[in-house]
Amino acid sequence: MSNAQIEIQLIACIVAIACAIPGTFLVLRKMAMISDAISHSILPGIVVGFFITQDLNSPLLILLAAFTGIITVVLVEYIQKTGLVKEDTAIGLVFPTLFSIGVILIAKNANDVHLDVDAVLLGELAFAPFDRLRISGVDVGPKSLWIIGSILLITLGLLIAFFKELKISTFDKGLAASLGFSPIIIHYGLMTVSSITTVGAFDAVGAILVVALMIAPAASAYLLTTDLKLMIIYSICFGVFSAISGYWLAHGLDASIAGSITTMLGILFLVIYLFAPNKGIIAILYREKQQRTEVSLLTFLLHLKNHKEIEERHVNHLNEHINWQKVRSKTVLDLALKNNMISIDKNIVSLTAKGDEFTSQAIDYIITNEDTQIEDMKDDFFLFRG
Amino acid sequence: MNKIAVKVDDLTVAYNYKPVLWDIDLEIPEGVLMAIVGPNGAGKSTLIKSILGILKPIAGSVSIYGKSYKKQRSLVAYVPQKGSVDWDFPTTALDVVMMGTYGSLGWIKRPGIKEKKSALEALEKVGMLPFKNRQISQLSGGQQQRIFLARALVQNASIYFMDEPFQGVDATTEIAIINILKELRKANKTVIVVHHDLQTVPEYFDWVTFLNVKKIATGPVKDIFNDDNLTKTYGINYKVSIQE
Ligand SMILES: Nc1ncnc2c1ncn2[C@@H]1O[C@H](COP(=O)(O)OP(=O)(O)OP(=O)(O)O)[C@@H](O)[C@H]1O
Ligand SMILES: [Mg+2]
Repeated sequence: MSNAQIEIQLIACIVAIACAIPGTFLVLRKMAMISDAISHSILPGIVVGFFITQDLNSPLLILLAAFTGIITVVLVEYIQKTGLVKEDTAIGLVFPTLFSIGVILIAKNANDVHLDVDAVLLGELAFAPFDRLRISGVDVGPKSLWIIGSILLITLGLLIAFFKELKISTFDKGLAASLGFSPIIIHYGLMTVSSITTVGAFDAVGAILVVALMIAPAASAYLLTTDLKLMIIYSICFGVFSAISGYWLAHGLDASIAGSITTMLGILFLVIYLFAPNKGIIAILYREKQQRTEVSLLTFLLHLKNHKEIEERHVNHLNEHINWQKVRSKTVLDLALKNNMISIDKNIVSLTAKGDEFTSQAIDYIITNEDTQIEDMKDDFFLFRG
Repeated sequence: MNKIAVKVDDLTVAYNYKPVLWDIDLEIPEGVLMAIVGPNGAGKSTLIKSILGILKPIAGSVSIYGKSYKKQRSLVAYVPQKGSVDWDFPTTALDVVMMGTYGSLGWIKRPGIKEKKSALEALEKVGMLPFKNRQISQLSGGQQQRIFLARALVQNASIYFMDEPFQGVDATTEIAIINILKELRKANKTVIVVHHDLQTVPEYFDWVTFLNVKKIATGPVKDIFNDDNLTKTYGINYKVSIQE
């Protein structure tokens, strides 16, 4: 690998990490659309900042543009508060307006400005290594690496310092406020970090990829874990994985790096959406099927409990009697046998002691809805899980 | 007369300039177990939120033992209405209860062993210890309510505000919760509960406030819990047979 290749991957990874952290909280706060809005409405801020500084990587430009991001959030909330339109409508009103102001500003000054809308939206990671930072003549690496690296350090510092505050104000705003943790300060803090990250990253990776890097890894992680810290760690890992694999995909296909990384993010989400152990589609379908079988099992066991007569308990009789197809009866019989709930003697089925107790407990649970007594049954049977 | 735990003066609260609470005066003596009753949309939750500084009133003031809420935060615990949080949030029962300790920690400081220990004790008290590592969406409605109660208990406050703690719980849990509330009152704590089941008011509470945008009445249950006040509050002719 050449130096430039390593640098590109490094920048992509750091952008991915810097995006995953605020992204996790945006997803949990159901504010994914806000990040999209910010990513577009920073355009006028960037243009104005560029007029003033003439340098796309100037910290002043980053702050100016991030400020436009905050204005977006304030405007959206203001419009929403009037109660005339819903949040998504408010977002849809604000960001196209700001974005188009940026487009007009660029078009009006296109002659002497080296800046175009495509570059802002899509970025060009491949060029990132060419813009070097020199300190007293010494080359210390690509400028964007330094910028996004500094942003990441600040984000990490804030995350570690205010983890508890972020958690409580995201989960329960009311409690946070009553305990004296101002949810408003946390909210705008998060919006500021999201805006600064978006601006800091757009030059390298473009505004669209920033949105993808904020939302997709967090949404994937959300399907895999029930622990906030793990969710952040998974988001970071997914972001980094997509950054590197996306880079090599682009390399192989000779395609846009940002586009390939976004594609990898999409594929990763799809795979997790399908195969996640608890919240994945396949797991859900499997669980539903299992629950159906277990309901049948219970019906069957109850039938055995209620009928002591031999003729009611003959294997063949059961088919007709409970009115199931052969396959279903067989699945249920097998499941009952496997769990030692029944014994079959000369085609006559009887409940074992274990089966008898299980049936009573299960029926009791279904009637009383008292959870505590079936806690240990939850591990073996889907029926008793949520 | 007892000390006054909570005093509300001329409180008016509005959402988008539309007042939902008009000129509320209220004095809650220390050591009572009080129900706030009123129809849906009467402003019960709003009243609690304004007392706790979650909403800013457009007029009026609130004091807790004679001082502003901001100064007395550590004396107050809050159980929000259950529907106000996202139960799919990635966290466990124990973790939610630990949040009750955040107030005493202040900014930045993290909860440690001491906080965990008091959270476990509170879980034990509400009978939820076996569920401590359960993700909160996998708890039943009544269990979620118990977790909220445990979270308020770890705050170890003097005044408890609870917004419909009996919402969606079965009879067993309801009795378990009311017993804990009665225990709190015995320890001379003040407990204020938004309550919907009028039948149980005389049995559970010793003090009651009728609220419907305005305050209709407040006082001991035996003096003011009558058909007259119920009719004024709910607007229909109310007949509740009060058990002696
Ligand atoms: N965030 C809000 N924005 C605008 N109006 C609101 C908001 N929250 C509540 N309201 C309105 O304020 C009034 C009082 O609401 P509140 O939640 O205090 O009622 P409540 O007595 O607690 O009712 P419930 O028994 O249904 O919980 C209602 O008319 C409600 O529509
Ligand atoms: Mg309410």
